[in-house]
Amino acid sequence: MPNVETSQSGPLHQDEVRKISKWQMILRDKWLYFLLLPGLAWFIIFRYVPMWGALIAFKNYSPFLGFWASDWVGFTHFERLFQNPDFYRILENTLILAAYELIFVFPAPIILALMLNEIRFSPYKRTIQTLVYMPNFLSWVIVASLTYVFFTTSGGIVNVIVENITGSTIFFLGDPEWFRTMIVGQQIWKNAGFGTIIFLAALSNVSKEQYEAAIVDGAGRFRRMWHVTLPAIRHVIVILLILNMGNFLDQGFQQIYLMTNSLNRSVADVFDVYIYFSGITQGAFSHSTAVGLFKGVVGIVLILTSRYIAKKLNQETLF
Amino acid sequence: MKSHNTPMGRVFDVFNHIILAVIALAMVVPFMYVIAGSFATESELARRAFFIFPETFSTGAYEYIFSTPTFIRSIGVSVWVTILGTIVSLSLTLMMGYALSKSRLLGKNIVLYLVIFTIIFSGGMIPTYLLVRDLGLLNSLWALILPIAMNPMWLIIVISFFRNLPHELEESAKIDGASDIKIFWSIALPLSKPIIATFTLFYAVQYWGDYFNALLYIADNAKYPVMLLLQNIMTMADVRFGDVDALVEQPDQSLKLAVIVVATLPIMCVYPFLQKHFAKGMLLGSVKG
Amino acid sequence: MKKTSLRFLVPFFGLVLIFALIGCSNDTNGNSNSNNTNDSSSNSDSDSDGNTASDERMSVTIMAPSFSPEGLDSDSPALKAIEDYTNMDIDLQLVANSNYDDRFNVTLASGDLPHIMVASKSPSFINAARDGAFWDITDYLDDYENLSQANEIVLNNTSIDGRIYGVYRSRPLGRNAATINKEWLDNLGLEIPTTVDEFYEVLRAFTYDDPNQSGQDDTYGIVVSEWEGPWNTMQVWLGAPNKWGHDEDGKLAPDFMFEEYREALRFFKKLYDEGLVNEDFAVMDSGQWFDPIVSGTAGVVVDVADQANRLQNRITENYTEDDIVLDVFGAVEGPHGLRNLPTAGYHGVLAISKTAVKTEDELRRVLKFLNDLNDEIPQNLSYNGVEGVHHVVNDGVLDIIAQADGGNLFDREVRDLNQFQMAIPEERFIKAPQTLLQQRQAEVMEANMEIVVGNPAEPLISPTYTERGQQLDNIIDDARIMFIVGQIDEDGLDEAIALWLRSGGEEYIAEINEAYEIAQAAQ
Repeated sequence: MPNVETSQSGPLHQDEVRKISKWQMILRDKWLYFLLLPGLAWFIIFRYVPMWGALIAFKNYSPFLGFWASDWVGFTHFERLFQNPDFYRILENTLILAAYELIFVFPAPIILALMLNEIRFSPYKRTIQTLVYMPNFLSWVIVASLTYVFFTTSGGIVNVIVENITGSTIFFLGDPEWFRTMIVGQQIWKNAGFGTIIFLAALSNVSKEQYEAAIVDGAGRFRRMWHVTLPAIRHVIVILLILNMGNFLDQGFQQIYLMTNSLNRSVADVFDVYIYFSGITQGAFSHSTAVGLFKGVVGIVLILTSRYIAKKLNQETLF
Repeated sequence: MKSHNTPMGRVFDVFNHIILAVIALAMVVPFMYVIAGSFATESELARRAFFIFPETFSTGAYEYIFSTPTFIRSIGVSVWVTILGTIVSLSLTLMMGYALSKSRLLGKNIVLYLVIFTIIFSGGMIPTYLLVRDLGLLNSLWALILPIAMNPMWLIIVISFFRNLPHELEESAKIDGASDIKIFWSIALPLSKPIIATFTLFYAVQYWGDYFNALLYIADNAKYPVMLLLQNIMTMADVRFGDVDALVEQPDQSLKLAVIVVATLPIMCVYPFLQKHFAKGMLLGSVKG
Repeated sequence: MKKTSLRFLVPFFGLVLIFALIGCSNDTNGNSNSNNTNDSSSNSDSDSDGNTASDERMSVTIMAPSFSPEGLDSDSPALKAIEDYTNMDIDLQLVANSNYDDRFNVTLASGDLPHIMVASKSPSFINAARDGAFWDITDYLDDYENLSQANEIVLNNTSIDGRIYGVYRSRPLGRNAATINKEWLDNLGLEIPTTVDEFYEVLRAFTYDDPNQSGQDDTYGIVVSEWEGPWNTMQVWLGAPNKWGHDEDGKLAPDFMFEEYREALRFFKKLYDEGLVNEDFAVMDSGQWFDPIVSGTAGVVVDVADQANRLQNRITENYTEDDIVLDVFGAVEGPHGLRNLPTAGYHGVLAISKTAVKTEDELRRVLKFLNDLNDEIPQNLSYNGVEGVHHVVNDGVLDIIAQADGGNLFDREVRDLNQFQMAIPEERFIKAPQTLLQQRQAEVMEANMEIVVGNPAEPLISPTYTERGQQLDNIIDDARIMFIVGQIDEDGLDEAIALWLRSGGEEYIAEINEAYEIAQAAQ
């Protein structure tokens, strides 16, 4: 399948592109530039102007002295990060948790959206949709509290059930073995419903005719899902997947911090917690920025790699 | 369509309905606890770990919240910021997204890379604060909008959506001599109701939920959005968030829960209104056929 | 037509570029620029204030955290009265309390520092003080009647490199205490424990002797959450030093190097093994820490003295004397006698910035202002508002009328005024009538003052600890919890200590001892 870029250029321009000059192209698309400009200006002002803040990773930044008066220290903060005896444990924890999230959290809203899409009784569908997106609005503090209530070994309903079935309780909240499962579970619970919205929007572009044509061809339920529904949202899935790779090492400080305790810290220490404590509690602005840059470089590499793979698989990647 | 359902399909339907009902229940029950708890007494909240109906019904927490104009005013601020911000964000995102969806656009890739770069790297809190100050936005509600007016990730998704619109209509309009602006306005946008509904919701939720910008940029309490009040009450005198000052009274648990309800219900009401538009988009989408 | 439109586009791109450049230049020069503008503005301030007679008002900006959803009205009569009393124009910059530290940091970065800032002794504040952002007021305090009576221990705790960079906001030093279910004690015929053995006996009886006479096994001794605070307090009861102690050679060593610490941990483990502590304490959400006390499942909680009143209020709202089931005690006697863990004795300091307060004359003016705030009249205004408007005193009994009807008036005109109140040397404002329990709390806090054990290293700063204190603390705190719940044994504790030493602990000990010697020599 050809890249959409080429099919998009369409019959009108494909030949012209090579002939006309750059100025003529800009002239031709002047109104598109007009549409582009406000957004571009926003990105330059609000995203690129403050970007000097990333450079404090190479300084010993003190807010009071300001950027210029703070000393340049080169790669000291990166060296300190890589020499930190905890670095490899933190990296390992972060990577494993990120992989779990990729495998379990990312597909959850897609599956949920497909399930919702199969429901034809509209009021039921709408009710379910409205209910599943509610957890998104509860803060992590509340989610952590409720998790404790449900999963504690002293009378939590989940453990009561587990004990009735297996005869013993499971230490969900303190056992390092269970930490990642709990984190992933919480994320799915909180975000999957809200995440369906974007896929449902993509699905709304699938016309009834496409389904009916598939039925005429004798396609069953699952073949229709596979050949009509999934392709309609595939472009969104691929884009989201690639972009998510850029934030692969981000875990969200609050959730992890609230679920960490003395018994599971060996697996719970991740970069975002480390950044929080070195940046906020310990006032090491430069060091935490350096860690952020390190994460960003990993993100860039992962984005470019996944884009390369997607292109090889003939998926639309946009850029 | 039902007649085309296979036996396997029917079994699937039954399971699908049941599973979804269970999932929905699991997701809504905790919220019901929050609502029930906001009407409960302190001793009941301590005694019962989880409940959906309070034994003694008390509206004390709500009476406290609405005894002063503070919360109503802060909800007003949030509504204003959310509406204005969503309009600004949607305009910027849709316009830029449409332009970038045209692969013939010279320089498109450079801009795209610039955008994607900002998904990964940012200047951080202090430089952004200095920028907002230098723009003279401190203590202005615009400071709650402009610094987060666009989300690069969502912009990319919008581009992808525009790419996947049927282009036959655009092509024929182009041949008829319509300008790109006209095509954008009268062809692309009407076809994009589902995306518009989606990102209206996303941006609205973003603006409603943001308290951090208010914390940094707003000095005047009269301009506090409701989420900042919520955050303040949730973190007040809580050992999880650092020292507990002997001077500060700890808020009641029921008050915390009631504030959660008051602060989240308005934004939760947005979705059912937007739901209609997903369906509308579907009808328009079938124009293509 | 197309060609003309092309020219039309060029200025647009130009505009974007210019925007970007303006933005960049603004920003890169941001700090130096803002300092300059700030200079000139405060210079003009000082021209009008510093050179004229002292009865002319000086305006002073104060940045402080805010706990009132309402925010303080700038027309508050209580604020006006404080201004009149101190002869100052007060401009309050109240910041929502959540993440006050972030706001503190951006304010430092902006260069627009207010005259007075509430600051906690965070690394940011320490660095800024060292970089010269705030006045060193060590040698000025003695010139002021109230400030000169500041508590030496607390002053020492607030100091940075032996110097004082702010006037502390006083808080009770002896605040740590245990809340106990008195009704259960009475049911069992027991008294409030005074020794460790009695404490153990009470916890055992609370767990196994049916203290609530329900006929069921539905109670236990003491509730602890995942927050480590209660263990820190109890280990001091049991003889361990407060964070740092002197070893045989007179050197400072961290608490866990002492045998008493190990003994305390064995005691905790015994409590846990016998089921006297909630089984899941290591993972218990701190938001639900007190629920078992309120619901009558656990009998003891070790936190702060004022918690008792709060918990009693949750048990019975607006309780009367007959309703009281809780009581308070400070500590129990361990191998080294009656000892308790003190708090730092303050909650943040009021630091005076050098960018806003330029001259020594101005500094003296601001210090006099801070001094005068501690007089009885302004203290009363800060806590109780204006008599007749916010409160009335009938036969010496205070009634804060502004707190009636949801307390909107109090929130709007009084509440946050106590955020720049220091209460040095003591609290002088009138207090509302105390319940019996509150009187007990006050007695316990008073008694605690006699038995608190100081931390000799409290004011000392170690660069290693600043850099990786969190990691170091985690190693020891985690090992302690794992030992109590039985995941590691004493060898495991030794391994954790060895890891701590390897991970920077050795440098930390050396730096603390070095700083300690310097501080001793200076005295």
